[in-house]
Amino acid sequence: MRIILILIKKEFLQVFRNSLLWKILVLAPLAEFLLFPFTADYEIKNVNIAFIDHDKSSMTADIISKFGASPYFINHGILSSRKEAEKEMKRDNIDFIIEFPTDFEKDIVTQEQTVIGITANAINTVKAGLGTEYVQNVLGNYFMEISDENPVLSEQTQLLTTNVYWYNEQMNYKNLIVPGILIILVTLIGAYVTALNIVREKEIGTIEQINVTPIKKWQFLLGKMIPFWILGMVEFIVGLVIMYLVFGISIQGSIPLLLAMTAVYLLVMLGLGFFISSVASNQLQAMFIVFFLFILFVMLSGVFTPIEGMPEWATYINYFNPMSFFMVIVKTIILKGSGFESIQEQFIALATMAVILNTAALLSYRDKAK
Amino acid sequence: MPAIHIQNLNKSYSHKISALKNVSFDVAEGEVFGVVGPDGAGKSTLFNILTTLILPDSGEISVLHKDIIKDYLEIRKSIGYLPGTFSLYPDLTVEENLIFFATMYKSRIKDNMSLIRPIWQQLLPFKNRYAGKLSGGMKQKLALCCALIHKPSLLFLDEPTTGVDPVSRKEFWEILGSIKQQNITVIVSTPYMDEATLCDRIALFKDGSIVTMDTPQQIIQNFAGTLYTLRTSNIFNLLNIMKHFSCNCTFYPYGENLHIIFYENTSTALPQFENFLKENHQSYDHLTQITPTIEDCFIELTSQKIAL
Repeated sequence: MRIILILIKKEFLQVFRNSLLWKILVLAPLAEFLLFPFTADYEIKNVNIAFIDHDKSSMTADIISKFGASPYFINHGILSSRKEAEKEMKRDNIDFIIEFPTDFEKDIVTQEQTVIGITANAINTVKAGLGTEYVQNVLGNYFMEISDENPVLSEQTQLLTTNVYWYNEQMNYKNLIVPGILIILVTLIGAYVTALNIVREKEIGTIEQINVTPIKKWQFLLGKMIPFWILGMVEFIVGLVIMYLVFGISIQGSIPLLLAMTAVYLLVMLGLGFFISSVASNQLQAMFIVFFLFILFVMLSGVFTPIEGMPEWATYINYFNPMSFFMVIVKTIILKGSGFESIQEQFIALATMAVILNTAALLSYRDKAK
Repeated sequence: MPAIHIQNLNKSYSHKISALKNVSFDVAEGEVFGVVGPDGAGKSTLFNILTTLILPDSGEISVLHKDIIKDYLEIRKSIGYLPGTFSLYPDLTVEENLIFFATMYKSRIKDNMSLIRPIWQQLLPFKNRYAGKLSGGMKQKLALCCALIHKPSLLFLDEPTTGVDPVSRKEFWEILGSIKQQNITVIVSTPYMDEATLCDRIALFKDGSIVTMDTPQQIIQNFAGTLYTLRTSNIFNLLNIMKHFSCNCTFYPYGENLHIIFYENTSTALPQFENFLKENHQSYDHLTQITPTIEDCFIELTSQKIAL
């Protein structure tokens, strides 16, 4: 017991004395936490829109004025020809072109079929996708209004669907991004810092000095894991406080449950960091391995892109991605407020990974070389 | 019973590079045993095997009467190891390092303070300094304290004086003398031949094998030739010219001097040599016979004798 206590004490002393590590552990997460959610905002404002009006009726004028009134669009007015519009789009001045055909108003009133051409600049796919939704929204609202005045048109308006986003009603991306970044930070502490810390002991030779002492492998393992586990938990809690104070996101579900799940997730990451450290022989190698896994975890986890949009094989890879399970847990507890029943599967997955990775770490850690 | 028993130890790394070839020797209890040899002779590999850090390929090895493979945890309890490179925590203070390593052995500093007191006294003024900020000699003293704090019965010192200034080196060997008085067996490796004479017994290593093993005095007595030294103003020039001198002898630079070992009767060889120097217009002085050092013995034993 005394051995483990002094190992923990030693680790904390080293962390607090390493001024760079300190900055990495405190300032970097804070900076990321306070910057990312504002930059990684999927809400699109200032969509540049222009029109080609072959109809020149009062209805098209009405619709165009609606776009001008919307806070999401900047109305660049009516352009004379398709050619001119394309030229403007190529210059990136315009994101959307809306083209009204001739006899547009007449066809609507007589209930003939008619088509509005929407051309989106898809260089920025997010802007194009969401912009299309906004365009449909504006058009939908317009036809809803006129159908109230003119019952004959009601059939048409039914074709335009409106979406309601559950659990994130304003489709506020901060609600998704902030917990996501919190998860990334916890992952970094768990895997990165632990792996680099142990590999550093290899590099400066202190691990040899430790290995010639009668200390047991599990004692060494615990002495490394407990300090970083505590640091990870503290960082997560600080993150939750910032999330509430700065972004106004409160935890819908049980806080003890959330912390318990984080504790398990940290065990997975610590085990991973430990395992990597026994494979890598210097900090550079360790860094590349963690970096590779980290990118893989993040891209597949659903933090930035929805899992639903991934091909089927990618979802199979996610069975081995602790971050994706933890993302579901965090979202479910923070945003939905559900209890343990709804995250049971994810918990079992994480617990299994924690056991496997830590066993592998313990077995692969060599206090004796060939 | 010897403190260390090694029978036919072999160890090779990948690509069939043999680090140790058929090494056998015993170290008696209470002895200061020196492993002497140039870099790459296999000294560190030997130490890593004996301290249970790496496994041998073959051989029968026991340390403190315990098998190094089966009972390695037992062995670790009663040995102290000072590695060849500084391996304490540079960001912990002197005192924190000592407490840390004492605790690893489940002992406390005060338990064995008497053993390290003379060294610890010198470190006391720096006890709150980070270990990484100490001078080379001080680092080694701290490392020695950390290796001794649990009162091991066997102490391994892997090149403890490499990179340490001459004054500190001398001091370090005085400390070893006092450790020996505490009935601690010491096995020390060094590339410095002059330090070898301070050991009770030495094994001279070259390319993974033992060249000879005995007390330093006995090794010097067994010196096979007659050793002469001479001083010259231009040693490089002289060495070049010596290539054309044919005799049953070996020559090599020794500091600013030239050493020459004659394996034949010097009553004929010496005048021949003086003649040769005269013919080649080499000025020199102090051509005298001297008793060889361990370094001369090492060269004598490992160099190929030039046949007539």
